[in-house]
Amino acid sequence: MNVHPILATLRRHKTAAGLIALEIALSCAIVSNAVFLIGDRLDRIRQPSGLAEAELVHFQLVGITRVEDPEAQAAEDIAALRAVPGVRSVATVNQIPFGNSSWYSSLNLEPEQQNPTMQVTTYVGSEDLLETMGLSLVSGRDFVPEEYVEFQQAQSDPEVVIPAVIVSRAVADRLFPGENPLGRSVYVWGAAPQRIVGVVEHLAKPNDIGGPSSEHTSVLMPVSAPVQYGINYLVRVDAGRRDGVLEEGVAALEAVNPSRIVLEDRTRTFEAFRDDYFQDDRAMAWLLVGVCVALLVVTALGIVGLASFWVQQRTRQIGIRRALGATRGQIIGYFQTENFLIATIGIAAGMVLAYAINGALMGRYELPRLPWYYLPLGAVVLWTLGQLSVLGPALRAAAVPPAVATRSV
Amino acid sequence: MLHMQDVSKVYRTELVETHALRHFDIAVDEGEFVAVTGPSGSGKTTFLNIAGLLEDFTDGSYRLDGVEVRSLDDAARSRLRNEKVGFIFQGFNLIPDLNLFDNVDVPLRYRRMPAAERRRRIETALERVGLASRMKHYPSELSGGQQQRAAIARALAGEPRLLLADEPTGNLDSQMARDVMELLEALNAQGSTIVMVTHDLELAARAQRNIYIIDGQVSDLDLAEAAARPLVAAREA
Repeated sequence: MNVHPILATLRRHKTAAGLIALEIALSCAIVSNAVFLIGDRLDRIRQPSGLAEAELVHFQLVGITRVEDPEAQAAEDIAALRAVPGVRSVATVNQIPFGNSSWYSSLNLEPEQQNPTMQVTTYVGSEDLLETMGLSLVSGRDFVPEEYVEFQQAQSDPEVVIPAVIVSRAVADRLFPGENPLGRSVYVWGAAPQRIVGVVEHLAKPNDIGGPSSEHTSVLMPVSAPVQYGINYLVRVDAGRRDGVLEEGVAALEAVNPSRIVLEDRTRTFEAFRDDYFQDDRAMAWLLVGVCVALLVVTALGIVGLASFWVQQRTRQIGIRRALGATRGQIIGYFQTENFLIATIGIAAGMVLAYAINGALMGRYELPRLPWYYLPLGAVVLWTLGQLSVLGPALRAAAVPPAVATRSV
Repeated sequence: MLHMQDVSKVYRTELVETHALRHFDIAVDEGEFVAVTGPSGSGKTTFLNIAGLLEDFTDGSYRLDGVEVRSLDDAARSRLRNEKVGFIFQGFNLIPDLNLFDNVDVPLRYRRMPAAERRRRIETALERVGLASRMKHYPSELSGGQQQRAAIARALAGEPRLLLADEPTGNLDSQMARDVMELLEALNAQGSTIVMVTHDLELAARAQRNIYIIDGQVSDLDLAEAAARPLVAAREA
């Protein structure tokens, strides 16, 4: 590679080469961080809920008149929903992952503990909840009927004992790292401890409160969901029957008690909740994609512009080189090598800048360190962009005839 | 060394067809110093471009050092040009961003010669033209005569079989022109084959042989007759 004469030439055109190197450095730094942020957003969007998402629909109703026996009405609702074709199981539930509103509880390892060990989101519901959600137990068991407590009783009676709890793997790992959590006691609800009877692989939270470090810090308790003022049903259906069940389910619930309002924006498939929940993340990811594309286009145009200018400025030089024996390939190689060298200088500076930007973002937001492999990835993207951008001007340079050398100046 | 037979070159545009060379025959033997003269527009530069493989020709046959060039593709012509031909241009044609060492190095790099061999040749060539002490200087730091000597060093470093000079003293004052001409004569005396295109009949008279081109053809006029001809050729379209 004829690096020395190219560097010698670049040294005499420091400003133009420096500006392009600076543009490449900024692009490298910003694109590396933007791609990292896009990856972070995509990871969030793709995070598992732990539920059988493709098979779930959700109904939410609020009453406009007082119901004498809400538990009996809930039982009627469940029976009506189970009768809809395609329904496999039905459960009441207090909240769902990505549903936004959440019940939070302090979790302690000791009674009378001053500061809580951690905050967890608490799922409660009827006996079929674990099966309806489609949660995957990695150890232990589901609750048994004897462990269930009525919500009203759990709320009003301080002596009531909720004997068991199922925790997510994230909670188990944080409380008892490297140990078997089954049988261990925690204090989530009431004065009496709950024994951990099961661990589920994933159980996402309804919202992001607590930040990324509290992802999937969820517990499931054998307490019935409240049914007094409004009620949520989670329904597991056969694949392909979600829309039909939603429509027929609403009709069935209205038949049980027409003086209730079915909340349309909360009565839909689980996937619709997920789509809504991550709308901002998707928008941000697309915005960052737009920023990256715009930056890369501007950088490419800068390279094309400078290379075209240099080809025009050096037309006679190119003719002289051709007259002295350069093949067309060697002329193309000259411009590609020149661009490679400028890009390499820009990329080296861009890598340092990328870490500096990442450091600033880490200080302001809860962002992890930019993984090292984003830097070679950014370098390859910018090297490729540079080579593609310079190809057109380089081909034009190669087309300069050697006879240009003998033309009068 | 250089053998053209019945070579013609036609430039065509939508409206005009110009015959720059027609039925052009020339033979230059190894070790000769030939001056090619003729009025402006007679076809001297076209001949030089074709002889130096800078331009293709329309018809005829051209053998350079035994190689028929007509059938060669662009890359093969470039390689042949690099190995067999050394150019000395009227405007010197040094690359302004490179110092003398790097300028002389340009054709050698295209030959993919090892660095040590390149260095030896560059130093020898610059020494031969009296510029060994200026090898780190840029063209803009040299006089016209020095620049032309540097261009001659660049042509010599490749040890070409043929030196083609295009008005080599055209941009120089009389003293520098004399120096350059003496250098060319010295090179010829050492065995270099030189073809020099010039409109200067005094310079041409110093060559071993003179060829006069008129209207794209080799004329049988001698120098004295040529001197009496008009300076601009009447060109048929």
